[in-house]
Amino acid sequence: MAVEQDMFDTVVMADERFHGEGYQEGYEEGSNLGIVEGRRYGTLHGAKIGSEIGCYRGFALAWKCLLHSSAVEKDSRKMKVVEALIALLQHFPYDDPTYERLHEDLDRIRGKFRQLCSLLNVQPDFKVTAGDSGLAF
Amino acid sequence: MSWVQAVPEILSPGDQDVFDEEADETLLVQREWQGHMRRRIQEGYRDGVDAGKAVTLQQGFNQGYKEGAEVIINYGLLRGTLSALLSWCHLHGNSSTLISKINDLLDAVGQCEECVLKRLKSVTPQPQVTDLLDSIEDMDLCHVVPAEKKIDETKDERFCENSAEFNKNSDKSHNGIHCSHSECCRTQEHAHLEKPSLTWILEQTTSLVKQLGVSVDVLQHLRQL
Repeated sequence: MAVEQDMFDTVVMADERFHGEGYQEGYEEGSNLGIVEGRRYGTLHGAKIGSEIGCYRGFALAWKCLLHSSAVEKDSRKMKVVEALIALLQHFPYDDPTYERLHEDLDRIRGKFRQLCSLLNVQPDFKVTAGDSGLAF
Repeated sequence: MSWVQAVPEILSPGDQDVFDEEADETLLVQREWQGHMRRRIQEGYRDGVDAGKAVTLQQGFNQGYKEGAEVIINYGLLRGTLSALLSWCHLHGNSSTLISKINDLLDAVGQCEECVLKRLKSVTPQPQVTDLLDSIEDMDLCHVVPAEKKIDETKDERFCENSAEFNKNSDKSHNGIHCSHSECCRTQEHAHLEKPSLTWILEQTTSLVKQLGVSVDVLQHLRQL
């Protein structure tokens, strides 16, 4: 009787077991695929943001020095904007896509950069593809 | 899936020497059962892949993002610095030779950056061929292939054919990787002969700054590169 009951259970439960076994294997495979696929997207997005932030940083730090060294250019207003931009950049966690104020801060940085450029009366060409940096996909 | 094979044994009664008709029926039931098992396993597999992917996709994205950002930011720094020097030159009416030199260096940085990006993309691990082979074997997807070729197949043949085809494909993708690698190397070789390499650009930038009569402090933030 007990053996029959066991067999019956086996048949009834079989559906779940088959599904479950397939699921286990699929889950492992899917986890690997997810990492690979996610990385591919992430690398491109991260590189884009790194490139843009790096440009701003290099530009601002170099100009800060140029403004310092040149007596003619000692303009407190320009200096203030450069300092402000550098401060914004320093506090921006450019390598963290989960940063909650990423877009907000990025917009402020871009705005400050444009302000600096117009103050300096220069138009650098960074070939930055703006507005394309996402948290996720 | 060893226990899957074991299940039909439970179903097939020990007394097979009854009547031929009954024996056939048992066989039919067995086949039906096996087909059903396979379908359920496949369904489970698909569900599992989706679930596993959903969990790790964001994790992979975050990892890649950090990596990409950290590697590329240095090139951005250099590019930004050169742009600042370029705009400074424009403002102060410096000689066009210096300006074109800065432009050349900017191009070089761009080339370097592109090469690094290419490498980053190709470094991304390919799905392991053995794993895929395993799962394809398990999923028993191969029946599609022989159907086209009208081969009276045994299970072994099917698998062979499938794995052969798969190997072809994986060879192809491997070649693809090699190509992009060698392409990248070629650009780098080329780079060493004529241009890029971050160190070379940095050296050139330093001498350029001196020619401009600007303090080398302007490159202070590039020392970490």
